[in-house]
Amino acid sequence: MLVDFRPHAKLSGTSPLDLMTSLAPVVEALREVSTDLGKVRLVCDWVQYKSNFREVVDVRPILLCPQLSAGPGPAIVPLGVRDDAIEIAVDVRRSAGMSLEEVTAALRRQRERVRVPLEDWGPGSGSCVWEFNARYWKDLGLWEKSTGRGYEQALPGGESDAHNHDAARDVIRDLFEVWDALADGDALPEELYVVELGVGNGGQAKVFLDEFRALDAEHGRDYYRRLHYMMCDYSQHVLDLAREAVGEHRARISSFVLDATAPCTSLGFLKYKVFLVYVSNVYDNLPTDEVVQLGGRTYCVQVRAYLDDAGVAGLAESAGVTVDELPVLVRKLLRLGPGLLAEADPARFADVDAAVAFWRAVWDLVRLEERYVPLAGLDLYALAPEMSGELLRPLLESGADIRMHVNNGAVASFADSLRLLHPFGRLVCHDLFVTDVQAYRTDFRGPGKYEGSVVNWVNGPLLAHVGRRNGFDVHYAPFAHRVGGNIVTMTAQVRD
Amino acid sequence: MSDLMSGLPLLPTSVVGSYPVPEWMERLKTDYYRGRMSYAQLRDLHDMAIKAALRDQELAGIDVVSDGELRRDNDIDYFLARMPGIDIPRTAKDFYFDYYDARVTERLPVTDTAPLMLADDFSFTAEQTSDPVKFSFTGPFSLSRRVRNEAYDDPDELVTAIARVLNAEARALAARGARLLQIDEPFLAGYPGEVKTAIKAVNLVTEGVDVTWALHVCYGNRYARPSWEGHYDFLFPAVLDAEVDQLVLEFARKGYADLPVIDKFGWDRTIGLGVIDVKSSDVETPEAVASRIRSALGLVPAERLVINPDCGLRNISAPVARAKLAAMVAGAAAVRSELTGAHPLSPLNPSHEEPAQ
Repeated sequence: MLVDFRPHAKLSGTSPLDLMTSLAPVVEALREVSTDLGKVRLVCDWVQYKSNFREVVDVRPILLCPQLSAGPGPAIVPLGVRDDAIEIAVDVRRSAGMSLEEVTAALRRQRERVRVPLEDWGPGSGSCVWEFNARYWKDLGLWEKSTGRGYEQALPGGESDAHNHDAARDVIRDLFEVWDALADGDALPEELYVVELGVGNGGQAKVFLDEFRALDAEHGRDYYRRLHYMMCDYSQHVLDLAREAVGEHRARISSFVLDATAPCTSLGFLKYKVFLVYVSNVYDNLPTDEVVQLGGRTYCVQVRAYLDDAGVAGLAESAGVTVDELPVLVRKLLRLGPGLLAEADPARFADVDAAVAFWRAVWDLVRLEERYVPLAGLDLYALAPEMSGELLRPLLESGADIRMHVNNGAVASFADSLRLLHPFGRLVCHDLFVTDVQAYRTDFRGPGKYEGSVVNWVNGPLLAHVGRRNGFDVHYAPFAHRVGGNIVTMTAQVRD
Repeated sequence: MSDLMSGLPLLPTSVVGSYPVPEWMERLKTDYYRGRMSYAQLRDLHDMAIKAALRDQELAGIDVVSDGELRRDNDIDYFLARMPGIDIPRTAKDFYFDYYDARVTERLPVTDTAPLMLADDFSFTAEQTSDPVKFSFTGPFSLSRRVRNEAYDDPDELVTAIARVLNAEARALAARGARLLQIDEPFLAGYPGEVKTAIKAVNLVTEGVDVTWALHVCYGNRYARPSWEGHYDFLFPAVLDAEVDQLVLEFARKGYADLPVIDKFGWDRTIGLGVIDVKSSDVETPEAVASRIRSALGLVPAERLVINPDCGLRNISAPVARAKLAAMVAGAAAVRSELTGAHPLSPLNPSHEEPAQ
């Protein structure tokens, strides 16, 4: 048996986690359920998200063959150096308090697989958890009313770093420096475009525009008059709110409803014209797959969402359906949203509040089971539109075991955004970035639940590689204007 | 000047230089720069790739072909890394296309030999095809922009020194039979105030070399992105002093609004007209190409036009490149037939099949 105990900070410090207390019941339980220990990987994480998709103990089958032959030739899965059949994943934050009996019962439950699935197996980016995520942003107002707190209050620190005035001033001063040089060479276009992807409540846009106007007044080169600030968001409702927030800058603002993963579909007319693309806390909230390198082979993590056994009977009863009928009702909720669901099914949901309560209860019970399916070739894996999995090769070629997110949505958004940039433009992004591949071997990086949304850390080395292959230097630095947070600032600008 | 162009049809088609590098080849080239492949294996790979690129161009019907610059790691380092006196402290690369950090700490040695051995590259290509060959190399101004100068008080002196090396290469190329040489200045558009320096250096490169000379100036094409934005008026009137026969320019991506500049300043030599956008994978139709050529004919007579893509095809896929070249050939043939009355071979049908009756 191979044990991979992630060296989380909880293993050291003044009151370190007791390794044996975490591990011993699991190993004992594995013996109890007569598993061939020679083909077991045991991986122990500290899952820091209190609300997440994991059970205390998860069993992940490791398949030997790809599901489908993707090309005319045979699907070649390379010879591995180990032939593990299952991975047992333990959340040591919760397992330390479990008895042998509890762990054994959890293992048996996992292996017997009596569950209420919400979907079929598939890559993570295709899971219905992203439909929940999209529904959350569409009906954010209803969720916030129900919980009594706004999204930003749920963030660590209680507010978004996007509202930081010092950060905005730094970005604006950098812009002025570039523009001054271009203007001196008679090469500055008349129209100065700035794009913000994911405007939220418009707070960042307001901070930026207020600071821009003030700094421009000091600077004295009349850039504010030439500025075109393009606010972009997935939701028209959000855009409307954001427009109100920046009402005094109305003449400088345009707004676009767009999918952040493909900004050029709406903004193609700005190709090579944008001096700043600003993205804050968007990438961590876009669909992602995970890939795993284990024993010399590369696997895609397939997932299947299900409802946690512990609460599913109560949920069904409260909604007036059988357990077997729950998946259909959940699909209906995702399709219609709580507002229309209450209208369409008044017998079960007396009002919108009742439908929102059902939504929140379902989300609370959503879990993800996982299995590893071999990839027959990186080129056969579609990372994003027009980008094959070959881009992952530099991150995997050492052959060492690793599991990492590939952030398909973020990669697509990033690559498409780069097309917008002027030769002297830059993309600035604040988000949760993993900046070193090694970090995937130490800490759990998602998925977690933030209110009704999904959060995963973003694969910084992968985005840097994608940027580089598009002619951009990508730099990461801790967010400079708040101490102790996890937010990292990514800056991409043309290299050479 | 050479009579190479006189043997070609009206509105001859050509390429600017580079050809697509498929992903598998990028991996192998990178392996070489990480020390995982020998030079002999790399050379073999390049030989095969060049033969294939030539075949693609011949099948597309291109009149003047190139080696696709497939031996080069990029438009700068292939020359600097071979140039005596240029210091490159770290020669391994993470990715073959990356630029080296190059510097010059002492004045470049004066040489009559051709140290870059570009003539060998040309000879290999010329042996593989019966079509006329264009051979391109990066010009002294752009090369100098990628060298940290610690040797010359006046940066123009470094440009001049590099130009003299390139002149030796040009002489060797001509001696081995090259008849059309092209100087590429991809960085010039970023330094519009330096045009006189660049043109002076171009004239040093061409000095005493009796071939057809082309000068290519674009807005950059690294990673399929423009490096600069602007207008071609910065080239004039300085470029009128360039001892070259053709000015090969980028128009398809930016539009043809700059074309009147050429007429206004009295450029009376050949124009290499960019009719294919190499920064987009959308394939132009032959009709679009024909329309672009017709629009240019109002300002430049057909006898002084060569039809080519905006720049090298390096950053698009091979299937897209083949389709774009076929469309360019068909579009040029259509306009040629209008001008000469000759019936073209399926002018608007890139597959060369007979049109349906």
